[in-house]
Amino acid sequence: MASTAAPPVRRRRRGDADGSDEQPAEVPYRLTPKLARRIGMLGAIVFVVFAALLLRLWALQVLSGPQYVQRAQANQFRTVRVQAPRGPILDRNGKVLVTNAAATAVELWVADLPKVYKRRYEELRELARVTRVPLYEIAARIKRRRASGDLLTPVVIREDTPKAMIGYLEERGSAFPGVQMERTWVRHYPYHDLAAQLLGYVGEISQDQLRTLAKTGGYAAGDEIGQTGIEARYDGYLRGVPGQARVRVDSLGRPRSARTLVTPVQPGHVLRLTLDLGLQKAAERALRYGIRLAQDDGKWAARGGAIVAMNPEDGSILALASAPSYEPSVFTGRVTERELDAQGLTSRTALEKNYPSLDRALDGTYPPGSTFKPLTAIAAMQEHILSPYAYEPCTGTYTSPDDKNHTVFHNWDPNVNQAMDLPTALAYSCDTYFYGIGNDFYELPADRGQPLQKWARAFGFGSATGVDLQPEAVGLVPTIGWRKRHFASAVDKLWKPGDSIQLAIGQGDLLVTPLQMTRFYAALANGGKLVTPHVLMDVENPNRKTVPTPVAPAPQPIPGLDPSALRIVQQGLLEGTHLSFGTSYGVFGSFPVPIAGKTGTAEKVVSLPGYVGKQDQAWWCGYGPVTPAPKLVVCAVIENGGHGGTAAAPAAERVFAKFFNVKAEQVGPIHSD
Amino acid sequence: MLEYAGSQRAGLRAEREGASLLAVVRSLDWLLLAGVGGLVALGLWAVAGVTKFDVAGDPSYYLDKQIVYVSAGAAVLVLATLVDPDLYRRYWRIVFASLVGVIAIVFVVGRAARGSTRWINVGFFTFQPSEFGKLLFVIALAGFLAERQRALGVVGTTLRALGLGVIPVLLVFAQPDLGTALVYIAALTAMLFVSGTPWRHLAVLGSLGALVVVVVLWAGPAVGVDFLKGYQKERLTCFTHPSTCPVDARYNVEQSIAAVGSGQIRGRGPNGATQTRLDFLPEHHTDFVFASFSEQRGFVGASLLLALYLLVLWRGLRVITVARDLYSAAVAGGIVVAFLFQIFVNVGMTMGIAPITGIPLPFVSVGGSSMIANLAAMGVLLAIHGRGRAGRFARRRDR
Repeated sequence: MASTAAPPVRRRRRGDADGSDEQPAEVPYRLTPKLARRIGMLGAIVFVVFAALLLRLWALQVLSGPQYVQRAQANQFRTVRVQAPRGPILDRNGKVLVTNAAATAVELWVADLPKVYKRRYEELRELARVTRVPLYEIAARIKRRRASGDLLTPVVIREDTPKAMIGYLEERGSAFPGVQMERTWVRHYPYHDLAAQLLGYVGEISQDQLRTLAKTGGYAAGDEIGQTGIEARYDGYLRGVPGQARVRVDSLGRPRSARTLVTPVQPGHVLRLTLDLGLQKAAERALRYGIRLAQDDGKWAARGGAIVAMNPEDGSILALASAPSYEPSVFTGRVTERELDAQGLTSRTALEKNYPSLDRALDGTYPPGSTFKPLTAIAAMQEHILSPYAYEPCTGTYTSPDDKNHTVFHNWDPNVNQAMDLPTALAYSCDTYFYGIGNDFYELPADRGQPLQKWARAFGFGSATGVDLQPEAVGLVPTIGWRKRHFASAVDKLWKPGDSIQLAIGQGDLLVTPLQMTRFYAALANGGKLVTPHVLMDVENPNRKTVPTPVAPAPQPIPGLDPSALRIVQQGLLEGTHLSFGTSYGVFGSFPVPIAGKTGTAEKVVSLPGYVGKQDQAWWCGYGPVTPAPKLVVCAVIENGGHGGTAAAPAAERVFAKFFNVKAEQVGPIHSD
Repeated sequence: MLEYAGSQRAGLRAEREGASLLAVVRSLDWLLLAGVGGLVALGLWAVAGVTKFDVAGDPSYYLDKQIVYVSAGAAVLVLATLVDPDLYRRYWRIVFASLVGVIAIVFVVGRAARGSTRWINVGFFTFQPSEFGKLLFVIALAGFLAERQRALGVVGTTLRALGLGVIPVLLVFAQPDLGTALVYIAALTAMLFVSGTPWRHLAVLGSLGALVVVVVLWAGPAVGVDFLKGYQKERLTCFTHPSTCPVDARYNVEQSIAAVGSGQIRGRGPNGATQTRLDFLPEHHTDFVFASFSEQRGFVGASLLLALYLLVLWRGLRVITVARDLYSAAVAGGIVVAFLFQIFVNVGMTMGIAPITGIPLPFVSVGGSSMIANLAAMGVLLAIHGRGRAGRFARRRDR
């Protein structure tokens, strides 16, 4: 592209002003005097520009510096955030579950403290004495505020201050420079520990949260945000929009006037949950009752559990109880380690108090035991390896013909020897009947895959239910591949007949959450549709207008599910509560509303302080009314509670009794699987 | 009139053989490199102080980001130093096409910020093509001038150079980014100047520029055509007639001047610099970073910064004199003048002696595109210097 055919041209070497010195064409480009002149001019421009900048800088900073310092100090107005009152949380009937209570906070403007160390120390010591906040804590907060560089937000000494303290401080205002009272709102829980894990609590935004939330915007240091449960999940609706106020400040950022609102505060939205306050209370009472029954039965380790009550058609949760619970008000106002310790909310006391902050309904995993048998039955019928009305033996023990070790699997009832069809086997909860099915699954040729696990997953086991609460456990559906990945030794890696046999009765490595189980029984009740459990009903803004919210996905029909298989299982569940040999006949046999359900007693190796061993987890899951259409599905688990019929079924019965508003005569718990 | 000697292929090739990479490295302009290093270091220190209270709970939020940008920019600088600028000359058409393309893309996929569409979001990074465009513009236009170097005295050449240059300038202007468009114009003028365009042409261009200003500022609005956005006009008229300026429009400049002035000789330090800390000074980590830095570090810090700029500019001018061919000289001239223009407009703006435009301060303002592009430009300067000197040494040995 360049001048290939260029004729020889003149060239000047630097310093050769006359340019007489001719060179051949190959000699390259050199600096010419003309270019040198032009570069010199550029240099002059650079010099002039920098001279101008430096002179101006000199004039501003050195000559008139003091004048500008004054101007900077006279900068008077500054905008500050005004926190919005948080929205209340209501139950489905509009009853208040969480609201705000007016409170008076004692605040301290750090910049206004006395400058003399001794007087400052005396004031802070007196303040600590009056407010009963330890001095070291006040000092730490002041230090943190100074480090953050925010001079325009006062340090909150005590959020929820009793009237007597306020009166004392106000009377002696002049002795406490920098101390002021500010009206605030604190979270109020009228029903104390009711649904505490579900509702969650509110706390000051942490450094980590601030860093992640700063990107989404709208959050600032010192903000109170939902930390767990509903408060955290729907924080965006609840928190409202902070307003902006203008305040006159001096050069040190100390406020010198009252706040005037510039942009108004928008209070948080009103959250309505699908929970029913009455039923929630009943469920929590029932859970305590179930635990007490288990303890009366000698089950010393029974100290917790969960009950889920859900609408089987749309997945809306009416009650979600988890025991033990805690008092969320320890997180309002002044949060102290001692109070948290007393509630079992610190790592120090959590074990002793049996982990009250754990929401067992969605984050606790248990083997389901016999409550899983309906799934085994459906899978077997779907795979055509079980003829539901053929009589199969129900015996005291079972040994797989494939098992080279001849392991003996026991029935819960060692003395039975009878032929049963599927509904009877479900009602009677015959283990050996299902051991046989499990073995049949094991014997299936490899090209049939793992249909039992496939159907378990189709009914939502082994995956999150998608409920609008966190955190949620996914449980575990053991497969051949999982065994291979999970275990080290060759013998453990192998899927053995015992694995299929255990899985068929919901034992072995299988783990489910009570919520997954509830969802499974909802599918049994509603004709085979998998619902998405949810607790949010709707959100209204403070003007009572409904705000658009994410809706739970519509119930999904389980693909390929045979309705007749489902009907046979439903029959078995109804017989379990209504025929004399049914395992929960004693509890539901005379219940005025027809309830169908299944007990479960699941062995689990538990590790408690000073004890490691097998404990039975008591289960009961079911639904009612069977006719015309089920309105409620309930699952109850009593941790280490022994027999499902003894502890879990009576607890679930109380929830049904409250829901249908009936009183039931209990025939009496019977010892069964 | 035309005193330049055409660079002959054969001659160039002979030089290039001598200029092995080792020689290039050996004859680097270490003083220029030191100046750039000093600026980057001072810039990071400035950012550390200026943004200390910007993100609650994370005083080094912007500093961490900026360090990442500097690391990326340093790699680009090394790369640009090692690449022979002659490569750009040969493919200047491709460079020009990609320059226009990448600026035009902004209009399609760009992200608007503060009323202006300048950024492209590429996932981890929002990329501002017009910053990189400054370097691409210089590289491409210099390529054109080098191609026509035997006809530089002809009116057609100047007009064509102008015609080529106007395309990216108008695109950037339409974003709208008046400041960067002006940087492009300054660079173009410098390249014409350095490559030896006759004074007559330059004079005509100058008057043409004046005419454009008149049309845009007075004649256009008079007949009802507005070329500038309201705020742009306001900024310019505020600069020329401060007394008629509305209070809101004057606010930024006044806060900025107060910030600079209140720094006095030793500065108020990050903790005491209320203009910055209490947010009276807007955009104090980007456009007004000089004001904030001056408030915190005073005359001592600010004049040290200016001195480092001066060092880099001096070495930059020197690079033009050692350039091995017209192309390299024009590129160096364009880069140096664009750099000077940005410094003047940005620093001048914070002290009220230049109108407000959204031009970042090289090596100090927080921003990845600006940092990486400026380091790349310095890399090109180093490359030109290294090869100019390396070639000379090689020749010297031949004799």
